[in-house]
Amino acid sequence: MNLELNEDQRLLFETVDQAVGRGYANGGRAGATGTELGWSDQVWQTLGELGLTGLTVSADHDGAGAGPVEVYASLEAMGKHAAAEPLLDGVFLPSWLIAGLGTDDQVKQLLPVLAAGGATIAVAHAEPGRPWGLAPTVTAAADGSLTGVKSPVRGADQADKFLVTAVDDAGETGVYLVEATAEGITRADGRAADWGHTSQVEFVGTPATRLGSAEADAAAALRSAFARARVAVTGEAIGLMETGLAMTVEYLKTRKQFGVPLATFQVLVHRAVDVYARVELARSMALWATAAVEAHDNGGEVDLAATADDAFVFVCDAATAVAEEIIQLHGGIGMTYESEVAHHAARLIAITESFGGVSSARRRAVASESLLRAPSALLNNADAVTA
Amino acid sequence: MDLELSKEDLAFRDGLREVFLGAVPEDVRRRTALGETTREDIVTSQRILNEHGLAVPHWPQEWGGRGWSPTQSHLYSSELQRAGVPQPLAFNVSMVGPIIAEFGSEEQKRTFLPATANLDIWWSQGFSEPEAGSDLAGLRTTARRDGDQYVLNGQKTWTTLGQYGDWMFVLARTDPDAPRKQQGLSFLLLDLNTPGIERRPIKLIDGSAEVNEFFFDEVRIPAENLVGEENKGWSYAKFLLGNERNGIAQVGTGQRIYADLAAASGAIPTEDGLLGHDPQFRTALHTAKTTLLALEATQLRVTAASENGKASPVSSLLKMEGTQALQELIKLRMRAAGSDGMLTGTGEQVRAGDAASVAATQYLNQRKLSIFGGSNEIQRGVIAKTILGL
Ligand SMILES: Cc1cc2nc3c(=O)[nH]c(=O)nc-3n(C[C@H](O)[C@H](O)[C@H](O)COP(=O)(O)OP(=O)(O)OC[C@H]3O[C@@H](n4cnc5c(N)ncnc54)[C@H](O)[C@@H]3O)c2cc1C
Repeated sequence: MNLELNEDQRLLFETVDQAVGRGYANGGRAGATGTELGWSDQVWQTLGELGLTGLTVSADHDGAGAGPVEVYASLEAMGKHAAAEPLLDGVFLPSWLIAGLGTDDQVKQLLPVLAAGGATIAVAHAEPGRPWGLAPTVTAAADGSLTGVKSPVRGADQADKFLVTAVDDAGETGVYLVEATAEGITRADGRAADWGHTSQVEFVGTPATRLGSAEADAAAALRSAFARARVAVTGEAIGLMETGLAMTVEYLKTRKQFGVPLATFQVLVHRAVDVYARVELARSMALWATAAVEAHDNGGEVDLAATADDAFVFVCDAATAVAEEIIQLHGGIGMTYESEVAHHAARLIAITESFGGVSSARRRAVASESLLRAPSALLNNADAVTA
Repeated sequence: MDLELSKEDLAFRDGLREVFLGAVPEDVRRRTALGETTREDIVTSQRILNEHGLAVPHWPQEWGGRGWSPTQSHLYSSELQRAGVPQPLAFNVSMVGPIIAEFGSEEQKRTFLPATANLDIWWSQGFSEPEAGSDLAGLRTTARRDGDQYVLNGQKTWTTLGQYGDWMFVLARTDPDAPRKQQGLSFLLLDLNTPGIERRPIKLIDGSAEVNEFFFDEVRIPAENLVGEENKGWSYAKFLLGNERNGIAQVGTGQRIYADLAAASGAIPTEDGLLGHDPQFRTALHTAKTTLLALEATQLRVTAASENGKASPVSSLLKMEGTQALQELIKLRMRAAGSDGMLTGTGEQVRAGDAASVAATQYLNQRKLSIFGGSNEIQRGVIAKTILGL
């Protein structure tokens, strides 16, 4: 039983932390998202050289074949700097989907490119005005061509390809691969609350190929990939919260009002402690979920989707509270685009609406059978709560 | 990372369960689950545990400690709480025992430790006073040296289960002229049968009388009952307060209440069906579930990181968040019982399982969790200072 990173995982965290820290030293997230790319090209190159883009790709396809703990470590380091590079959205998530659903040929063709950092793939599932958990309204015709609207799609402006969810004539949900340069695509580019580049993408008879064979269980592959993404993004949230807390503590020590540092006022100090408590409990939850995914991948009996929902809900609630408090404790400065803390807060809020968002995750968790069993963090210690 | 117990840990756990569920009588555990543990229950259960080497596992090995790994210690407190076994009396096993073992004389160790482990002596904690609560060092009870005796005068209050106390460990002022209020305090062992002691019960918000006040009028304590050095009492008191880490988040208790409540909710009717299907109830239950998971994971991380036995400042986090989570769960149980929880004392049990009859009184009683053991505001102060540097 152990919930700590091992030596190599710690080293991975430090490596990413240093690489991103250097790239973000001048300009931070505002600088990176303000470029045409939407992130720092220099940091992206470095991440590629360090092998981060191949982290989740198996060694057979030129990746590192690393597991969920390495994903956690690297994303916590990214979060620490509120980094905007699309490791999770543009590489990890599509890699899971492709590995889980793609045909041998598709896997061979797509994964090495992702691993090399040569391209990103935008996963397009959300639709305007439509809850995440319902089947898509985008349709796939018999020839595979797609028609309908996806929004919001993160990183669509830079993506090399899209993976689009759509229903076929039989009403089955599938995942379709679309070249970004294909015919019949109209993109309206905007921004998410965290200033990440995000678009509405319309398809009209756009040529596409199905990911995986017609018999493959696309719904299961989607469930699993999004569950992994929900757990992974909790790691990023921990990094964001940790820095948000550190900046806030520092601010309370240095900012003076009424002739004294703000840290003189106990009401503020106690609120900072409550932020600390949220961060620490959320960190435990994120580490626990990460360990549970690892156990699942090693053949353990873990309900991946339920675990991800529990962790995502808890961490998103913490993220919301922390975002609100770090703004409040900074006063007016926390409201400005210039301040770093604002970008941490905005990214935390955007995370709570990622991959279907916290409300839909909570609905699933609240409806889940497992709710009526007493929780235990130890996988083989759940039985025998007997008074 | 690894969330599985090893074969050895599983065998260890099963050994614990054999004692907790096999040797500790069922009616004792049932009353404990309802918050209605009696004095006899606590004594019976602690003596059974002691017989099996399970009453004082965290003491030095010479005096009955077991030298367990962090995982084993975690399993011990969580299995004990889940099984509804009464906690070994904290005043004995977590407070005065470790102090005597660490700072006491050989004579004191021989006299007190075995009897303390076996609950042959019931200890009470004489720290708080009417004018000294959170600001404990402000206490006024004095112990004047007179030859080979100390003479005690003053008042202690909030003494939990003091009605059963045989002995009391007292923090008293031996040097009224010390420059700082933390200096000049001493840690004394007081036989509660000594003349000059008056004991009065304090009735609490739920009608129970589990706390008491004590008045001391020229009470004579033999000087050999001073623990450690005179005027060094504050450092022992701090050691003691930091020592309550073991199982402080009471995750196991939370898991047990959770399991009982979830099971009961399948039989509690609402206007729209069963409580177990009520979205409002289930949402609150889910919050409790994830909080318990996060707390248990935190506890696992903390025990693993504090192997050397020193209290980690994160124990303040566990105290603060653990007590709050438990209070929320107990509130949820009161809501589940609804108006049925408002009739007590008839012996009838209606809904929310067995717990209905105590749901509201227990809710009120357990408000204490965030007040004693260093109030949750005091814990925030500790975290601010020692962890955040604020
Ligand atoms: C049921 C029960 C059992 C107890 N059992 C025992 C026992 O067996 N032995 C024993 O010695 N004591 C015992 N206590 C006493 C307990 O330790 C004290 O109640 C506790 O230390 C708080 O002190 P107080 O009640 O004087 O409250 P106060 O210290 O007066 O506090 C009142 C409020 O002010 C807050 N506060 C105080 N100081 C600060 C500060 N610096 N910053 C911010 N907020 C602050 C507190 O958190 C609280 O909310 C028990 C108490 C209860 C309720």
